[in-house]
Amino acid sequence: MTKLVSGDGRTHISSQLMRESLQNKGVLAGTHSEQDLKIFPDVSLVSIGGHSIFDRGKAAILPLVDELVEIKADKTQKFVIGVGGGTRMRHTMAMAVDFGLPTGGMAQLVGAMEELNAILLNTLLAPHGSMPMQRDHFWDLPLYFDAGITPIAISVPPYHFWEPPPAEGHMPEHGSDFGLFQLAEVLGMKQIIFVKDEDGLYDCDPKQHADAKRFGVIALEDLKVPKENILDLELYDAFATAKNVKRVVIVNGLVRGQLAAALRGEDVGTVIYKRGNQ
Amino acid sequence: MSDGGTTAGSGAEGRSGSIERREIPVSAVDYSPVAVMPDVKVVKIGGQSILDRGRAALFPILDEIVAARKLGIQVVILTGGGTRARHIYSIASELEMPTGIVATLGKYIPMQNARMVQMLLAKHGGIYILPDDFEKLPLYMQLGCIPVMSGMPPFGYWEKRDENSRIPPHRTDAGVFLSAEFLGSRRAIFIKDEDGLYTDDPKKDPGAQHIARITSSELVARGLPDVVVERKVIEYMPRAQWCKELQIINGLKPGNVLAALQGQDVGTIISAG
Repeated sequence: MTKLVSGDGRTHISSQLMRESLQNKGVLAGTHSEQDLKIFPDVSLVSIGGHSIFDRGKAAILPLVDELVEIKADKTQKFVIGVGGGTRMRHTMAMAVDFGLPTGGMAQLVGAMEELNAILLNTLLAPHGSMPMQRDHFWDLPLYFDAGITPIAISVPPYHFWEPPPAEGHMPEHGSDFGLFQLAEVLGMKQIIFVKDEDGLYDCDPKQHADAKRFGVIALEDLKVPKENILDLELYDAFATAKNVKRVVIVNGLVRGQLAAALRGEDVGTVIYKRGNQ
Repeated sequence: MSDGGTTAGSGAEGRSGSIERREIPVSAVDYSPVAVMPDVKVVKIGGQSILDRGRAALFPILDEIVAARKLGIQVVILTGGGTRARHIYSIASELEMPTGIVATLGKYIPMQNARMVQMLLAKHGGIYILPDDFEKLPLYMQLGCIPVMSGMPPFGYWEKRDENSRIPPHRTDAGVFLSAEFLGSRRAIFIKDEDGLYTDDPKKDPGAQHIARITSSELVARGLPDVVVERKVIEYMPRAQWCKELQIINGLKPGNVLAALQGQDVGTIISAG
């Protein structure tokens, strides 16, 4: 039985970390192991781009919704959807920077713009079974999957007023790509699929450079992260330290079938894997 | 709209980074930050160092905070975790829980501590506030309240993993620093059970010298296996817009808390640089 311990002016609970400094590297290492508990290892996370899909309006949104309905009818894939904020979020940020709002204030504001896309998507998917998921109501997921309901998660991480000062510039570093990756990682999901408007990740922006080269299947260890990037740079750091997520896939949501193929585990678009995880 | 997307502004920066930096208008490149509530003193009451010592340590500290408030000094109290946090961290680590789960578990103990402090301060205007309640601080301050909240940042399941550890790297020290930074407060005050930094552990070496001032880079250069505040805070300090100083004081010595709240340099000051 665990005991209460006193004698140094404090009341402790007996444990491996009792009286220890949680800043001490040796103490911290004692909590470490190579693997993490995997809570939902057969689930994929699907992130739908704000700028790349939603800002294009009906022409891009409706075919993607059709594809999602088709994938759902198949009932073999378990997945959670997240959405990006796109141009309204960029506008929010532009105004916030102009006003001189603190970084944490900007982080508090941006999530609302993503939520609009989540509501749009849910409005279209609800007749086929979907629900917005409350911030961290992860423990409802087994119920959702059993009932054939596709949850739409909040993508911006809750860093809010506590967004750390960024390494560069003034804008928050923890955006929706990072937030969704982190959600997939903490829940032990097998992969995260980013649905964008390009056939994958390129070595430079394919909209600006005709000779841009697309990455196919590539190990994260071999990937020189391009400066012009359709994903948050924070995401690559998070993937590098991740223990659970095995694949990050980037597919084109304007091309029918790419998302379905990625969900089936096929190599489509750009597949970034971690050599250590194979 | 030539590329099928709708853009919000012209590209001032050549690439997309986090939160897509490329669409910010040129006029916004000159960022002139506005301090939200620069007069507020953000104060941490340590978990293991103070709260787990019980009333003998805590009550005199609260008395000094109340005295400061009566002098018109605006104080927000954030609480640490302590031994109960260590206990749950220990069990969760054994179960190989991901850091995001450990961080979520870690939210509850500082929250309990904040509620305890609120009950003790209620008669002096102590109110328990949640992370989102910063927006109501102007009212609470005008009413003479002493807001009390958990020091744990709300990252929870979204907390990042640290190398070689399952313990969340952003804990209550980070929450105090980041609160001060958001509010535009110049100095965050940490009430602990030691006078700040020494050249060596004063409990083991009686000849250890007290350090009154040190910069964050000097602290890093010492390469200590253990540091007085969370490493994340030391990492963030040089990038801070507002919170450029941490003050670590011994709350067990009468007068220190009030002196620190009045702006005096007691304890150790760690400054960004």
